Amino acid sequence: MAAFLQQVVEGLGAGAIYASLALALVLIYQFTGIVNFAQGELAMFSTYIAWQCVAAGMPFWLALVVTLAVSFAGGMLIERIIIRPVEGAPELTIVIVTVGLFIFVNAAAGWIWTFLIKDFPNPFPGGALEAAGISVNFSTLGVLGVVALVMGLLYLLFQYTKIGLGMRAVAANPASARLVGIRVGRTLALGWGLAATVGAVSGVLVAPLLFLEPNMMGGVLIYAFAAATLGGFDSPLGAVVGGLVVGVAETLAGAYVGFIGSDLKVGVPLVIILGVLLLRPQGLFGRAAVERA
Amino acid sequence: MSEDLVVEDLHAGYGDARVLHGVRFTVRQGEVCAILGPNGAGKTTLLRALSGVIRARGTITLGGTSLTGRSPDAVARLGVAHVPEGRGTFMPLTVEENLRLGAYVRRGPSVEEDLERIHTYFPVLKKRLKQAAGSLSGGEQQMLALGRALMLRPRVLLLDEPSLGLAPLVTRELFRIVQAINTEERTTVVVVEQNAHLALGIAQQAHVLETGRIVLSGTAAEIRADEQVAQSYLGYRV
Repeated sequence: MAAFLQQVVEGLGAGAIYASLALALVLIYQFTGIVNFAQGELAMFSTYIAWQCVAAGMPFWLALVVTLAVSFAGGMLIERIIIRPVEGAPELTIVIVTVGLFIFVNAAAGWIWTFLIKDFPNPFPGGALEAAGISVNFSTLGVLGVVALVMGLLYLLFQYTKIGLGMRAVAANPASARLVGIRVGRTLALGWGLAATVGAVSGVLVAPLLFLEPNMMGGVLIYAFAAATLGGFDSPLGAVVGGLVVGVAETLAGAYVGFIGSDLKVGVPLVIILGVLLLRPQGLFGRAAVERA
Repeated sequence: MSEDLVVEDLHAGYGDARVLHGVRFTVRQGEVCAILGPNGAGKTTLLRALSGVIRARGTITLGGTSLTGRSPDAVARLGVAHVPEGRGTFMPLTVEENLRLGAYVRRGPSVEEDLERIHTYFPVLKKRLKQAAGSLSGGEQQMLALGRALMLRPRVLLLDEPSLGLAPLVTRELFRIVQAINTEERTTVVVVEQNAHLALGIAQQAHVLETGRIVLSGTAAEIRADEQVAQSYLGYRV
């Protein structure tokens, strides 16, 4: 039993990271209907910025604040410069643009920082909390805490601030939002800025566990897609729950299903994506697209 | 300073399809103006041009301030509330959130007062404040749309086919409320309507729009007495 719970805890730790990137995906999808394939790469680029700040001698937490601010501005800038011109274009066009952005950001990071792996500092203390035969790493606790904090802040923003209300209005009905006087273009840029910031958090959380290199987020992005699909692409809460479920499912499948082991683990999110699309395409928390005839 | 809405030589359309060909009319401050006309005459297009949803050529001024070429959010900030065709409900948001969005460009404690005031016009909404707006009936959603527009404290209210898809009883109630708003708040109203009876019942002035041109203008009584209008839109001969 203790061994099982141990696996669940490990799964939650991994899942929290998938959840944070899934949250970034969902933020953009909600406002624009765009699936941003470059979300992972933007997170990776942000992580490099954090690394650069630390390398320049900044204390970690200050570097994090700088990184989040730069990511927010960068996300807004990308919306203005790259996404705005194709707004309203067919979905395939927009997919190609975000895939192009993926390749560009990946190459840019390689060009600036080389493809050699870098060590990224772990902000959380080593050691573990021991209770009831289970040991939970402080870094796992830290990751879970940070994701809960991000989720809580987003909830406060969306439910209790005027700007959050405006953002939800734009997501629900952009034409009508314009008529009540909301500057929709600015709100969309704000959505991209927020998504890039949340993505940066996931990059900074994952980097100490893997190594920092330009292809770091590739795998995480697949898990994040599975998480967002499972939770429902239009539900931030769904993204977080989906991320945790995917993390636990992947860890348990790796530990207990003989033929999966650690090699086939990456197949788990694909099975989840396929299963959800077949059985409940809107995901656990998503709204099915229903139109009155 | 007069707050008249003055429209002159207005041209508008969608891409190459030109819909309005030089529309001109004036709505005096505090009056209700009805725009009548058959399907496809350009009534909805006219309102969209007024609120900046589509680009228009010509002049639109409200109390001397030009509205032409402004974006819809800018026009809203100048005090023009457009209740669009289909009501523009924010479905997943609550009724209260929908109302608060109406006052998005305003700030201060007066917003809370207005929320109360809306309830006196629409008691049915008060019971449903925390409910998702998408769960309201068509009539309730139309009331909500009107309430949302009022939250702007508009100088001009643009109403697009408020009776569309509603039961006759609900429609009458709705027009009664529009009239009450007009008399109590002194809000200028431009209402586009298929149901000429109801629209003429609350309007002082009326215009008949056909294929993008105003073919007939007059007081509501004059329009009602016009034989051509009677045959085409009122369903009886004078």
